[in-house]
Amino acid sequence: MNASISSFAHVPDARVLPAVWKLLLLRLRITWNSFRHAKLSNKIGIIFITLMLLGFGYFIFSMSNLLLRFVRSPEFVQYAGMNLQAFLASIPALTLTTLFIGTLITSFGVLLQALYLSGDMDFLLATPVPIRAVFVAKLLQAILPNFAFISLFGLPLLFGLGASSGYHFLYYPLVIVAMIVLVLAAAGLSSLLVMLVVRVLPPRRAAEILGFAGAIIGFMCGQSGNLANSLGEDIQISGTRLTGILLLANTRWLPLNWAGQGLVALGEGHWLTGTLLLGGTLGLASVAFGFALATAERWYYSGWAGMQIVTRKKVTRSARPASPTAAGIGHGLARLLPKPVLAIVQKDFLTLTRDLRNLSQLVTPVIFGVMYTFIMLRSGGEPSAGRGEAPDWFMESFRLVLAYGNVGMSLFVGWMLLSRLSGMGFSQEGRNYWMLKASPIRTSHLLASKFIVAYLPTLGLGFVFLTIISVVQGLSLLEFSYSLLAIIMCLAGMNGILLSFGVAGANFTWDDPRKMNAGVIGCFGQILTMLYLPLSFGLFIAPLGFAKFLSYPIAYGYLFGLIFGTGIALGFALIPLWLVRKRVERLAEE
Amino acid sequence: MPEILIETRDLIKRYGDKVAVNSVSFEVYGGEVFGFLGPNGAGKTTTIKMIVGLLQPTSGTVKVAGYDVQSQPMLAKASCGYVPDTPNLYAKLTGRELLRFVSDLYNLDRSQVARRIDELLRMFDLTAAANDTVDSYSHGMQQKASLAAALMHDPKVLVLDEPTVGLDPKSARLIKDILRQLADRGAAVMLSTHILEIAERMCDRIGIINKGQLIAVGTMDELRTLDKTGQTSLEDIFLSLTGGAEETEIAEILK
Repeated sequence: MNASISSFAHVPDARVLPAVWKLLLLRLRITWNSFRHAKLSNKIGIIFITLMLLGFGYFIFSMSNLLLRFVRSPEFVQYAGMNLQAFLASIPALTLTTLFIGTLITSFGVLLQALYLSGDMDFLLATPVPIRAVFVAKLLQAILPNFAFISLFGLPLLFGLGASSGYHFLYYPLVIVAMIVLVLAAAGLSSLLVMLVVRVLPPRRAAEILGFAGAIIGFMCGQSGNLANSLGEDIQISGTRLTGILLLANTRWLPLNWAGQGLVALGEGHWLTGTLLLGGTLGLASVAFGFALATAERWYYSGWAGMQIVTRKKVTRSARPASPTAAGIGHGLARLLPKPVLAIVQKDFLTLTRDLRNLSQLVTPVIFGVMYTFIMLRSGGEPSAGRGEAPDWFMESFRLVLAYGNVGMSLFVGWMLLSRLSGMGFSQEGRNYWMLKASPIRTSHLLASKFIVAYLPTLGLGFVFLTIISVVQGLSLLEFSYSLLAIIMCLAGMNGILLSFGVAGANFTWDDPRKMNAGVIGCFGQILTMLYLPLSFGLFIAPLGFAKFLSYPIAYGYLFGLIFGTGIALGFALIPLWLVRKRVERLAEE
Repeated sequence: MPEILIETRDLIKRYGDKVAVNSVSFEVYGGEVFGFLGPNGAGKTTTIKMIVGLLQPTSGTVKVAGYDVQSQPMLAKASCGYVPDTPNLYAKLTGRELLRFVSDLYNLDRSQVARRIDELLRMFDLTAAANDTVDSYSHGMQQKASLAAALMHDPKVLVLDEPTVGLDPKSARLIKDILRQLADRGAAVMLSTHILEIAERMCDRIGIINKGQLIAVGTMDELRTLDKTGQTSLEDIFLSLTGGAEETEIAEILK
């Protein structure tokens, strides 16, 4: 029988665990090879970060141990006037619930990638490896990084709680067991969710939507602190109220809390309650994992959750030819531009707006702008001019500069958008760059098209933001017009710098748009624009302050501001591009 | 005497110490299909990329339709159509938008573009998918879209890198017919392929490159005279010229 299979192969081993082990070892080998072949600086960086993370874990353990001992102390209870025992007992339940939900959410994207977009599934399923082993290995590969990250915070905290509370030694291994089982159950359910979604949406589209949603939520979470500060007293919650909410969340009615409550009970020596609660959770989680695994592999194998059922997607809106107007360019401007320039501009707008992963990078500056406009509206848009103890000439000049300073916010929002559109204008071509390179396009036309693609939306956003600021601050028509001119010129200079650095650091080998900014050259561009921005905008507004200070007519201030500001902005808009023009001709040849 | 539409002279491309293409010189005439053969890593794609202006040679010259690719790149590129080995196309454009985009890059007259696009879509059986984004196309459809894009401006020179890879027999036949027709109309067609039967049946002349050096150029009859072992099929000649001993050894192992 063996001979009929192959001259060399033995009868395939149908056992799951050895196959899982083999697949995991393979992944480990790939990871090790990546590390081994990395640059020395990257190796040092990885080792440094690993040590930092380990140190951070130890720090959290020590801090939680110390802090929790402190809040348990009679001195604290007496001083604070409240006993936090019940709150402390809720920490394991809250941590494990966070771990479960966090894994459920974060492993979705990773599993989508691992099961549908990684490209090795066909190879693995064609080999005589049990399909269950492939699934388990994929699940473990998908959840391990997230599990390690969440454990970095959760494990030291739970161990710190155990140490500070003097829990039984069994508490510690059981914490690890509970975490692993809950994470596996969450990943199993997540894999089911992935297959349900892929049934409806093509995997790449699902990944795009996920990337878009993730980036937006991430950005909003990142900015929530600023928003919360702005909202101030409106959302202040007292410590007592927060403790009450947390205690309420630790209800026994939620099965997710059972593991944490069981761990506390076992740690405190309540064996029966602890065993029932923890055992119940572990049993439920194991059943959920087993069910998810069996269902997911059956769905995948039967083709129920396969990609082949997805029909080609129609872009109904593109049924009509994409005209310059449709792409957001006026006919007048379209007539002025050479055909190849217009074609690239049009193509870039279409591809940027159709790929949600790109869109998430473009929407963040808009959110940022909206948020800070909201904050400014709440504060009434009045610049704080101090207590008025300074001389009148200083206060007058300072007030003028501050009024224009808020206009600088438009430039900052524009900078965010330009960093993406301009800095990655060439990189975004990716592997398609050959189409442009093999076509008869002048370097100047190519640069001009990329300049326009980045400039027009940024100018639009800057204009909207400036209009809102002007209304909020009550700027005069003259001040508005001058600010608009300053923004037009400053953004042009910034565009020139970022586009040039984008050319110098162009990367055409990415597969995921979020990874197109591969090198450090783009970062240098951003740093340089951070220096350029205050210089250029300062040259527009500083002469106004000087005119006031020297008691000259303000018209002189505007005139000199225009001369200096426009001069430097035009210089930065054109000279860097002129410097990289030869580089453009050699792009994508490395 | 037919016009020389592709001409390379002492073409060299070095990557550091490695010489990818070493002093390659050949001509491709108008009205002929020129097959460019060689083992993996022999320098075929590098040579092709230098011809279409995607790579600058370390030294030597390339002329396309009489224009020097380095000193007159615009004119050379405007005369040339290129189909790469991997059809990387803008995934988020529809087939129709892609062709319109290419037509604008080549500055084609808008009044004729719509008709030309419809013609090409029909010819490559892509009309039904014309308004679908390219990322929903199969590999074969993308390959056909890539060829349609290369033909959009009706080039005098067409360079194709492995054009039949991933195509079904019907599409492969269609492409072969189109290339023949183009050559019959006076264009120069240069294609690289690993499928020696295609080269033998389609190409008027064949160039064989090995380890960066052009080791043979000529018609099938001329290649036969070059081969001292007296082989008659292109496969035997190719293996004999490029070192077929390894292949024989592999075949022995697999027996």
